[in-house]
Amino acid sequence: MSQSPHLVLCVDDEQVGLRVRKILLERAGYKVLTALDGVSGLELFATQPIEAVILDYSMPGMHGGEVAQRMRLAKPHVPILLLSAYVGLPGEVTSLVDLYMTKGEGPPVLLHKLGTLLPPSDAS
Amino acid sequence: MDLNQFKKILTRVFLLPVVALLVTAAVMYWQNRSANATVELIQQSDARISQTNLVMRLIVDQESGLRGYQTTGDERFLQPYLEAEQELPQEFIDLQDTSVTETQRQSVELLREAQQTWHHSFAKALIATIRAGGHTNDIELNLRGKAQVDAIRAQAEGIVQRAEKRRSDRISEWQRQVRNSIYGVITIALIAGILIGLYVRSQLHQVAQAYRSSLEDLHRRAEEVFQSEQQLRTTLDSIGDGVITCDAQGRVAMMNPVAVELTRWPLLEAQGRPLQEVFHIVNERSREVVENPVEKVKRLNRIVDLANHTALIRPDGTEIQIADSAAPIRDHKGIIAGIVMVFRDVTLARRTQEALLANEKLAVAGRLAATIAHEIHNPLDSVSNLLYLMRSGCSAEESVRFMEMAEQELARVTQISRAMLGLYRESNAPVPVDLKEMLEEILLLMERRIVDLGVTVTTHLPENVVIEGFPAELRQVFSNLITNAAEATGKGGVVTVIVLPQMANRGAGQKTESGAAVLITDNGPGISPDVQANLFQPFFTTKGEHGTGLGLWVSRGIINKHAGNISFTSDMSPTSHGTQVSVFLANKPVINAGGD
Repeated sequence: MSQSPHLVLCVDDEQVGLRVRKILLERAGYKVLTALDGVSGLELFATQPIEAVILDYSMPGMHGGEVAQRMRLAKPHVPILLLSAYVGLPGEVTSLVDLYMTKGEGPPVLLHKLGTLLPPSDAS
Repeated sequence: MDLNQFKKILTRVFLLPVVALLVTAAVMYWQNRSANATVELIQQSDARISQTNLVMRLIVDQESGLRGYQTTGDERFLQPYLEAEQELPQEFIDLQDTSVTETQRQSVELLREAQQTWHHSFAKALIATIRAGGHTNDIELNLRGKAQVDAIRAQAEGIVQRAEKRRSDRISEWQRQVRNSIYGVITIALIAGILIGLYVRSQLHQVAQAYRSSLEDLHRRAEEVFQSEQQLRTTLDSIGDGVITCDAQGRVAMMNPVAVELTRWPLLEAQGRPLQEVFHIVNERSREVVENPVEKVKRLNRIVDLANHTALIRPDGTEIQIADSAAPIRDHKGIIAGIVMVFRDVTLARRTQEALLANEKLAVAGRLAATIAHEIHNPLDSVSNLLYLMRSGCSAEESVRFMEMAEQELARVTQISRAMLGLYRESNAPVPVDLKEMLEEILLLMERRIVDLGVTVTTHLPENVVIEGFPAELRQVFSNLITNAAEATGKGGVVTVIVLPQMANRGAGQKTESGAAVLITDNGPGISPDVQANLFQPFFTTKGEHGTGLGLWVSRGIINKHAGNISFTSDMSPTSHGTQVSVFLANKPVINAGGD
């Protein structure tokens, strides 16, 4: 474990999925904040020193594309990983984020991809 | 020129010569009458001449008798004298009767006086002298007698001469009259002839003109008829549908090229044959011969459409599916003079329609596929994460918790896959469908999509409302309608799904079956009337590239098949806008197989 674990924000409306993802990431050595919708996610993003975002696409109220757009406006340097259950999201959404992957590709892929988005020296 | 005018002219042309001849006859009659009068006058002159001659003969007889007696002294010679003496007074009266003018009367009177003078002063005296035995050969006496007779003669000759003069005057008058009358007749005949000729000519000219114009008219009409027939023929030839006309007995009269091609009967061979021979049609499914359209039109006396699924069997045994209609051809009295059949090959259209139906099913499935993938991916992701965590080592307590969570997620997958299967489970006969169960399953499948759209769905679904139907098809209908409602209202909208059981209404008024109404209401902007008019048209869509335009068309077909009905009410007012779709489904519908 690193001295200073990366702070990752997970936004997803799936409660169970979010809980499991949090446990998974925490085991992998990350500090995890969670939000169940875009609005509360953006609040955390604005107030906390978030280093990476794992964002669901389909959410009530505000979808992942919009959330990503607002995050880019606020803090453009923070990497965003779009994790969606949908296959084939439109290009204008995927171009907003650093990485895009579908749910179900498995935890190793997720952890690997998240690792590539963060500075390697600080990673676990 | 109409027939009445023509008749008038005929009458005039007939009457005119009659009138002219009557006038001529009248003129001739008048001429004849004056000629007759002249002839009478001539006869009068003749009578005067002959009467004068008669009187003169008697006077001469008297003188001859007197002379004989004077010579012989025999009384017998005196016989003619005595007879003439008897007759003369009467003959003088007769002669006087022929006198017309005073002059004539006077000359007759003078003649009579001359005769009297001779008679009394000479003849009677002479006779008396002879009878007395005296001498009568005194020259003086005899010269006096001769002078008297000469005077008589002169007088008589004067009368005769004058009468003859008059007679010849009258004859020339008569000749003049006859000449005049001939000239008159010739003139009248000439004038009447010319007038009649001119008149008849002018009238005949009119008739001829009228005849010519009717001839031209006829010619023009014939040309027009020819043109319009030609046009009709061209139209029929260019029509994309087969057209067959039959006479009232149902024998083929005419076929256009498309009909020839579709029936595979050459026109010349088909003409005159009974329609059912050329146009052999059967029900595609039952293979029963369809009622002859000719008979059907005659029976119903109106335009008739063929039943669905009619197949035309051609002489070579091949068959095509056709759609057609037959209409009566009426004469000007409204009696059926024939039948015209219009039909077309719908084999391809049927196949296209079937393909479209399949396509729409695929589109519905496609629309759901994304939702389904999402629904399955979410729990799958959790499950694979949980398995990863468990494999990478965890406490017993954690393991139990993870397994519970995994089971929970797997149950969700099962539920979704079951709902999805329902969409494509096809049955041949209608089965009981619990509307609540079905609608909840649909809403479950659509949940994600509804959440994405930011729409709230409220439901009122009573338990145990069961109707009979084909569940897969009904799911397609309601998933369509709910999607439409949710997409119409958009973010923040509310869609209400209500099931209302309905009792049968067998009383007066509209009779309805028992069943249930499914009401899907949204508070979207409403549907404009021109869009409403096209809602059930295939390929009509308001969703641009995102819609196939087949959803409602297919839905209506399915509802019709279920002997139900589907209707829209929509409001576009700013305060109470929204749309309600009402679908009625009967508890025990008579499935209408042709409804799709």
